[in-house]
Amino acid sequence: MFLFWSLVFPLALMTAMYVTFGSVYDMINSIDPHKTVIIAEDDSEFTAGFEEVIRSMADESSEEHYFDLQEGLTREEAEEKIKANDIETMFVVSDDSIEVFLSNDHSATAAVVAQSVANTYRNKFEVIMDAMEKDPQAAMRILEDSGEMKEYTKSREDAFSGDPNVYSWYFYSSFVMGIFFNATGGAAIVSDLKADVSCEAMRFSASPEKKSKMLVCSFLARLIPALVICGIHLAVMSTVFNVDLGSDPLKLILFTVAANIFSISFGIICGLIFKGTLENRANKTTAVLMLSVFLSGEMINTLPGTIEKVCPIINDINPATVMNLAFYRMALFDQPLDFYTNMAKIVGASIVFIIIGTIILRREKYASL
Amino acid sequence: MSEILRVDGLVKRYKELIALDNVSLKVKEGEIFGLLGPNGSGKSTTINCILSLLDFDKGKITVFGKEMTPKSYDLKKDIGVVPQEVAVYDTLTVYENIDFFCGLYIKDKAKRKQYVQEAIDFVALNDFTKFRPKKLSGGLKRRLNIACGIAHKPKLIFFDEPTVAVDPQSRNKILEGIEQLRKNGATIVYTSHYMEEVEQLCDRLSIIDKGHVIAEGTIDELKGMIKKSEIITIETAGLEDKILDKIGELPHVFNAEYKDNVLKVEAGSGKHNVIDIVNILQDNGYSMKKIFSEQPTLNDVFLELTGKELRDE
Repeated sequence: MFLFWSLVFPLALMTAMYVTFGSVYDMINSIDPHKTVIIAEDDSEFTAGFEEVIRSMADESSEEHYFDLQEGLTREEAEEKIKANDIETMFVVSDDSIEVFLSNDHSATAAVVAQSVANTYRNKFEVIMDAMEKDPQAAMRILEDSGEMKEYTKSREDAFSGDPNVYSWYFYSSFVMGIFFNATGGAAIVSDLKADVSCEAMRFSASPEKKSKMLVCSFLARLIPALVICGIHLAVMSTVFNVDLGSDPLKLILFTVAANIFSISFGIICGLIFKGTLENRANKTTAVLMLSVFLSGEMINTLPGTIEKVCPIINDINPATVMNLAFYRMALFDQPLDFYTNMAKIVGASIVFIIIGTIILRREKYASL
Repeated sequence: MSEILRVDGLVKRYKELIALDNVSLKVKEGEIFGLLGPNGSGKSTTINCILSLLDFDKGKITVFGKEMTPKSYDLKKDIGVVPQEVAVYDTLTVYENIDFFCGLYIKDKAKRKQYVQEAIDFVALNDFTKFRPKKLSGGLKRRLNIACGIAHKPKLIFFDEPTVAVDPQSRNKILEGIEQLRKNGATIVYTSHYMEEVEQLCDRLSIIDKGHVIAEGTIDELKGMIKKSEIITIETAGLEDKILDKIGELPHVFNAEYKDNVLKVEAGSGKHNVIDIVNILQDNGYSMKKIFSEQPTLNDVFLELTGKELRDE
């Protein structure tokens, strides 16, 4: 059961996601450069700046190589080529306006890219010009930082209400779900050590082994296989599904270890709170996990955003959401503060759970056996 | 023989319910000591208290001459437990289970390997060492359960109803094994509600009912506590009431019943009870088909002491 929920089930979900949407995602993320022409109607700063932007995106060495720029064409020649579908996009730039013309058989991607680039440039230019009038030094700083601005995003907006990367989110939440299911292992630790829950624990309690030692051994016996399973998940996500896992392996390791420790310690608390046999405790723990994972957006990726608007505290205390966000922020955004804030929550909760669990398990005086 | 286990005035309460009320026991080295009582009488609670698995309200428990506490790790090394339920891991094989539980006591690998093999030989599970418990029959599981409890060669072993739900053949093997353990030098505390087992196995025993020790001693001492010492059964046809009355008036007879052509007489200690009854029947011209004379059982002891049968509950 443990291997199914922790290893097989998340991989099955990831595979289903990859088979269903992987090709679409790859297509969106591998845009072929479109044949493009710029018709500059004047020599304004606005026009020159836009030409510069498009040229940078036509550079073959650039990561954002979206355009195949056709030089030396007049507007009439360009229009002829558009009509003949020889060129896909034509920008006509004058003063502070950009007109976008598309060929009849243009692709949806070409239209989205052309419109997005034009709109983004317009907006940024307005901001810069406005700043120039009010504070030229600030405007220069904006210009200097403009290259980096596209790398940074406000965490709350992008994680919840903005435009989350659905594809990545699904893989991340499946990975986190696999980790979180280790909580059932935490419930099993309770069964291993509480003599009123299992006969095996009765044998342990009657043996000369110290309970604290058995607790550590039992914990490690769950943690080590869980980490191995995570390694398999990450390897498959990275190599088979081409999922972006971020650029910092240390943070990835830190997250994986902390999240697994948290999940197991969370399971210990669940195992202590719930009553009955190991099976009863594990089933009730699984029910809690399911609810937590559902609220974190495993099934409906916009759910955390909705919850954030209505009752944000649920996101703040929902373990699966906290872990999802930590992973999402680590992998997709360069936001150390947000990442470490979530990690602090995970580690803090783990410490509290482990302390409570240890005290109760070591000092247990059974009312009945 | 020195005292291996001593329990003095043990009291255990579950809120209003008094589970153990001033229970006292003494177990001597090398004996098989039985705890006999109906289900819910307090046998398992007593053992759990002795093993420090269960907190108790009052009393003192001494094992190997030292007071037993949850942290008496030196004492626990020499104690083995065979719990009532089969306590093994389904994911481990027979060998791995025995090795795992033995490993809680024996750290030396070579020594442990030898002990595990000896335990496997002892319970005759050699053909099943690579099997997982789910594939074993009920009797084999019980034998595995025993092997896990005795592999580390404890000096004091607690068997908590080890033959519940076991077929007669496996039960006999288990009982023979326990007898063998005693011969090997172990002291055994054996709980059961099967009086036949206790009679067959135990040197001394305590009878527990509702948390009280109601009697303690050897089998003969316990049987000597009750006035009934012989039950005589005779098959004869058409016995008249006056003859039945005459039999009932014999000096050691305190109860005589006749039903379905069977005469059943309960008598106290007397040398010629059977002869006296047979003489009366012969003198009055009755022919007899079968004659039995039985000693009282522990159930009779329990019945006389508590007014109910051991298996009533």
